Amino acid sequence: MALKNFPEQWGWLSKLFHWLTALLIFVQISLGFYAESLRLSPLKIDVFVWHKSLGMLILLLVIARLLWRIKSSIPVALATSRLQQLLASGAHGLLYTLMLALPVSGWVTSSAANFPVKLFWLIPLPAIVGPDNDLKSLAAEVHEICVFIIIAVLLVHIGAAMRHHFVLRDSALKRMWF
Amino acid sequence: MKINILFLLMSLAAGLTSAEQWRDNSAASKLYFAPSFEGLPINGEFRQFSVNISSDPNLQPESLIVLVQIASADLGSSDLNEAIQMVDWFDSQGFAEARFSSDQIVATDQDNQFVASGRLSLKAAEKTIEVPFSWQQSADGSIRMLGELKLDRGDFAIGSGEWSSGDQIGLAVKVWFDLNLVGTND
Repeated sequence: MALKNFPEQWGWLSKLFHWLTALLIFVQISLGFYAESLRLSPLKIDVFVWHKSLGMLILLLVIARLLWRIKSSIPVALATSRLQQLLASGAHGLLYTLMLALPVSGWVTSSAANFPVKLFWLIPLPAIVGPDNDLKSLAAEVHEICVFIIIAVLLVHIGAAMRHHFVLRDSALKRMWF
Repeated sequence: MKINILFLLMSLAAGLTSAEQWRDNSAASKLYFAPSFEGLPINGEFRQFSVNISSDPNLQPESLIVLVQIASADLGSSDLNEAIQMVDWFDSQGFAEARFSSDQIVATDQDNQFVASGRLSLKAAEKTIEVPFSWQQSADGSIRMLGELKLDRGDFAIGSGEWSSGDQIGLAVKVWFDLNLVGTND
């Protein structure tokens, strides 16, 4: 399997980025809702350490992924109309934006709440902002709104992939698969 | 003999009146504390406290009383501040005030360095602790008093039950202060 992307096929690095972030985002959203549902306890704090650790890992992955995407060419679009093409690019752009906005707003929330974090219980995460109650509330709200938007966009994304695969019977899903 | 006793009492009384009383100038005094999470400190402070100290005529500190309003604990965020006032933690509803009063203050070998030993009552516990501090008069006549100590939150049942293990939130809590004391006899 080729590292680089081809006009008809994603290379393995892009595939790895795609499916790894997909898995991490799924776990991450579940962890977030689970942590929120818990009463204040050592367990809640541990679940949040996992959530913050994965969030920072996703942030790094997304930055690397974006750099790779900018550097390499991507397969040709499979859209059947100009509108569809616009919607697809819009959704992908929105997903990248949310994949950056979610970890950053989470980081701001955690730092503004003056809560120190050791990623994976190993690496101290520096505070991105100082303690600030108003900023904390704002960042937490942005984080929450972004979660609901990303869930909606992901449903559209998955729905579109299914439509390409089962209705249009094109290679959209296959060329991202292994 | 009677004269001697009278003389003794008089000199004692004279000694008492010449002993200086000092009080914290709250605008310029800070009492900090820092618990830790996974080994990383969370810096905070008590916003309301009072310090009363007396010294002999040679400005040697003799007794120290510190009162701390527990509800004024500030760890920099409303989330943390709410959490630490809960029953498992400070329980400020049940125990509004912490009090340290010295039994004795001894000078150390180093200049201007002292150690106050006394009782700290905090939450439901009372424990004998030592408070090392420096004590120095400034040009304006006020005293600057600095010190740092470590307390074990387990000794005072702060973070009880499921929190009592120090794995996540450490047992050692750093406490330090930078006080500006002004004379109150005049």
